[in-house]
Order: sequence, then C-alpha cells, then structure tokens
Amino acid sequence: MSAALPRVFLVDDHALIRSGIRTELNGHVELVGEADEVEAAIEMIIERIPDVVLLDVHMPDGGGRAVLEAVIKQQPSVRFLALSVSDAAEDVIAIIRAGARGYVTKNIEGPELIEAVNRIAAGDAVFSSRLAGFVLDAFASQIGDAGTPPPFDPELDQLTMREREVLRLIARGYAYKEIATELSISIKTVESHVSAVLRKLQLSNRHQLTRWATERRLL
Amino acid sequence: MGGVCAGIARRLGVSAKTVRVFTVLSVLFFALGIILYMMLWIFVPRRGEDQSIITRTGSDKREKEILAVGSIAVFSMLVALQILGLNAFSFVTIFLAVSALGTLVVWRGASEREREHLHELTSGLATLGSASGGGWAGIALRTVVSVVFIIVGVANLSRVSHLRGGAFGVVVGATALVLGIFILFAPWWIGTVRGLSNERRARVRAQERADMAAHVHDSVLQTLSLIQRAANDPVEVARLVRMQERDLRSWLVDPEAFGMAANPPSTLAESALEIEHEVEDSYAVGVDVVIVGDCALSPDVQALLAAGREAAVNAAKWSEAPSVKIYLEVEPEQISMFVRDLGKGFDPSAVPGDRQGISGSIVERMARHGGRGTIRSSAGTGTEVELVLPLKSPAP
Repeated sequence: MSAALPRVFLVDDHALIRSGIRTELNGHVELVGEADEVEAAIEMIIERIPDVVLLDVHMPDGGGRAVLEAVIKQQPSVRFLALSVSDAAEDVIAIIRAGARGYVTKNIEGPELIEAVNRIAAGDAVFSSRLAGFVLDAFASQIGDAGTPPPFDPELDQLTMREREVLRLIARGYAYKEIATELSISIKTVESHVSAVLRKLQLSNRHQLTRWATERRLL
Repeated sequence: MGGVCAGIARRLGVSAKTVRVFTVLSVLFFALGIILYMMLWIFVPRRGEDQSIITRTGSDKREKEILAVGSIAVFSMLVALQILGLNAFSFVTIFLAVSALGTLVVWRGASEREREHLHELTSGLATLGSASGGGWAGIALRTVVSVVFIIVGVANLSRVSHLRGGAFGVVVGATALVLGIFILFAPWWIGTVRGLSNERRARVRAQERADMAAHVHDSVLQTLSLIQRAANDPVEVARLVRMQERDLRSWLVDPEAFGMAANPPSTLAESALEIEHEVEDSYAVGVDVVIVGDCALSPDVQALLAAGREAAVNAAKWSEAPSVKIYLEVEPEQISMFVRDLGKGFDPSAVPGDRQGISGSIVERMARHGGRGTIRSSAGTGTEVELVLPLKSPAP
C-alpha cells in the first residue's frame, strides 16, 4: 500500500504552516522533503522528482511562481498544487496559468487537502469553489458582447455547456462525487471536464485572463 | 550655489532672492557675472569659517603644487590650440579656462560639507561611462571635454562671422557649443533631479510605514488582546479571528478605502458580502461567498438578497454545519443564488406551515417578486436553497 502513496514535496517559508501540513498529511502521503526558500526548493525538487509539490504562492525571491517556472522547464512531469492564504483573483489565475494544476487556501481541512493531493497526483485538477467562480466570471461574457474582442481560438476561449454546469456546482460547494450524482455522470467524467477547463484556463488568450496574468507580473 | 548671494544679501540687508535675480541677470547679459561670482566664492570666507577657499588651498603645499601643474597644463593647452590656428586667447576661452581653474580651486579647497555637496552634484556622472572612476577624475574629464566642445563651437562661430561661411559652420558651431555647456551642467542637473525624486520616494515610504504601523496597532494588536481575554470562549475567539481576517484582507486589497465610512452597498456583490459579514459575526459560522458577475440593486434584487440572507441565517442557526456556502450568479436573463450547508438537514414537508422563516421569507417573497425559491433538504445530507430571479431586461 505504501508504494501507492503519492510522493509529496512541501514548499513554504513559514515553519508553522509546514509543521501543520506535515501533521495533516502524515500517513496519507510520502513526504519526500521540504524547503523554505525558492532556490533550495528548485534544487531539491529537481533532484527528488516528487509526484506533487505543495507550493506556497507568497514567498520572498519571486514566490511560488519562480519555483514552478524553474522546475517545469527541467521536469515537466512534476505537478504543482498551489497553496495560499489569499484567494485573490490575480494570485489564483497567475499561478494556474504558470502551470499549477490546482489551488487551495491554507485553511483547507486535512481530509480535503489529502483528497486534493491525491487528485493532483492522479493527473487531475483541483478547483476550489472560488476558483470555479473566477473561471465562470472570466469566461462569462458572451461572444458578440460589446467590448469583448472576438475569441482568438473558439476551442480554448469558450466553455462547453457541460463544463459550465460542472463549474457552477463546484462553485456551489459540491464535491466531485455529488456533482457526478447531480448530473448523472461518472466521477471520471467530472474529472475530465475539470481538466479540460484547466487546460483552457492555462492556454486561453481571453483578455480577462491575460489581463489578470500580466497585471500580476508587473507588480 | 556657493552661498555667495546669501552672503551679499546679509551684508547689504536685502533679501537673498533679490540678489540672486540680479546675479542671474548679470550672468545673462555680461558673462562677467560668473567670474564675479566665482571670485567671491573663492575669496570671501564662508560664515562661521575663518578661511576662504583660496587661503585654505594656499595653506597646503601639495594643493599648491597641483594648482600650479593644473594652471600650466591649461595654459599650454591654450597655447597649443593657438598654434593650431584656433583663436584660443579670445575672451571667451580665457574666461572658460579661468572658470575651469576656479572650479578646481573650489573643489580642492572645499570644506568637508561642501565637498559632499559637490559629490552629490557629480553623482550623475556615471552617464559618462569612462568617468565613473570618481568625482575628481570625473570633474576633470568633464571639464576638459566640455571646454574642448565649447572652444570648437566658438571657433567655428567666430570663423564663420568673418569668412561668411555657409549655414553648415553655424550649425556645427552651435551644436558643439550647446553640447559643451550641456556636458558641463548635465551632472548637476541629473543630480538635482535624482535628489528630488529620491527625497520624494523616501517620504512616500515613510508615510507607508506609518500607515502600516497604525493599522497593525489599531486592528491586529487590538484583536489579539481581545482574543487573549476571550481565550476560554472558543466561539468568540473564532468570531474575532474571522473578523480580523476579513479586515486584513480588505485592507490588503485596498488600503486607501479601508476605514472609510462604509457606504451603503450599491451593487449586488457588495450587499452579498455584507450578508456574509453579518451572518459570520452574529452566528459564528464561516460563510463562503462566490459571486459571478454583478449588477445594480433594484427592489427585486433586494428581495432576492433578503431571501438569501434568511436562508443563510437559517443554515447558520439550525444546521449545525461549520460553514455555509453562498453562490450568486448574474446572467443576462436571470440571477440565481444558492445557499448551501452540509449540516443535519430536515424534511421540508414536515415543517409546520406556521413557521414563517422558510415559507414566508423565502418562497413567498420570491414569488411576490416574480422569481422562485426552492428548498432541497434531507436529514443527514444538508440543505440547499435555490433562488432564481428572472430579469426582464438584460442585466446592466
């Protein structure tokens, strides 16, 4: 059984938060290391190649984003779950667009965090209800609305009806299992919808998204 | 600059500004003003110091030698230029040479404070690249370069005047002259500008620090002491922590607006956040609000929010769930609001009809405003209230 546990690396500059997360994850994942600053984190992650990196967004020297960008360049297989006290739109969208596969706030309950880590390790995406709300907001304006430039790529710049339904249920606080029941689809299908939304979120050129991302970079 | 004007003003008993204006005018009309200014600067002792710059320079043997070597160098340069056919001994060049020499004297003889000042003036010199070695070499290099430019410029112009050359000569001469003057004064100008902006930046930083300290004190430390006093009341502690967290978040998002008298909410999103705060504070449960889109308040929208608020209050009071989730979405044709908890739930059909809360405040209120309210609940899985308000015209 222990071989199946996801290998997790923890990056956060606050020792208290690290020890809290360590306690919560204890026994449910294989913790392969932790770091409290950007440079050490990059080095150790590339050396140990964990399945999932739990990544604090706000750190000195470029924050979680610097770690993410440096690691993904060399080890694209490493998956990131962003972790932050803030769920402000700019932070969330920027780190997801940089390549993180999910986002949770630090006050997440232990079991939810474990579920999120496992989901990321399995290659799926993790959306908090607020992130789902942001995405609905960012993809909300209909084609043809005044002030909205025509979509660059309709494949990426629009959500399907089904994706919209799934996101709406996430925003309402439904767990994946509940969503599956509600929509009479399998959990796998829910997961693939969310992954598809993640891909659009990362690759779409919708101006709301690029605006958020660039504003953040300029700060 | 050297305090000469202020000195004259004190002696004559007029304001320093008047003297400065006269000085500038005299410089503009007769270059003599500059020389006069330099002379006074060099020869008259500064207030509170018993030696003038020239006596200080003279009192040091090494300084004297440097002065002598410098004079000889400048003189021979002028002679060389004369031999090369340039009108080196014209009034202007001699005047410039004297000024350059004067600057050297000023520099070597300057007091510690003055030297610091001069250093500041020349700190912009990095722009000259090769001259970044230090103030001294910088001044020398700059002076030489600018003098050369000015000499070339003047020579060109004066030749033009009696040879009646074409416009080309005039342009070259004027350009060289301007360039020379620019190089001479650029560091001073850059230094002044930079000094000003540095000062402004420092002031802004200090202001920000003070604001931050005030906020930490008023808000964070106050809450911490309240928490210490309420340490054995977990509900109160949770309430205080949530309140402080919300405070800090809103302050982080917009420190300017923080602490301003809260305006009554004017949009759907603002009122929804107000409901979140109110329910959190009164019932000590967490309320998560996710809002997609926004619109202005109308009586119908306010009814929807009131019904939603009632649903949230019910969830907080009766469900025993630690948190309530509110989801609001504004679409072109309708507004929907979902209030959900994962508490103990109940059987809606078993609720007696006289219970005002659910039927009166939620379902009937929605019906009166042309919308509908639906309650889904079952024992053990929690409750979700769905409110939908169709919009007659598209949301603004």
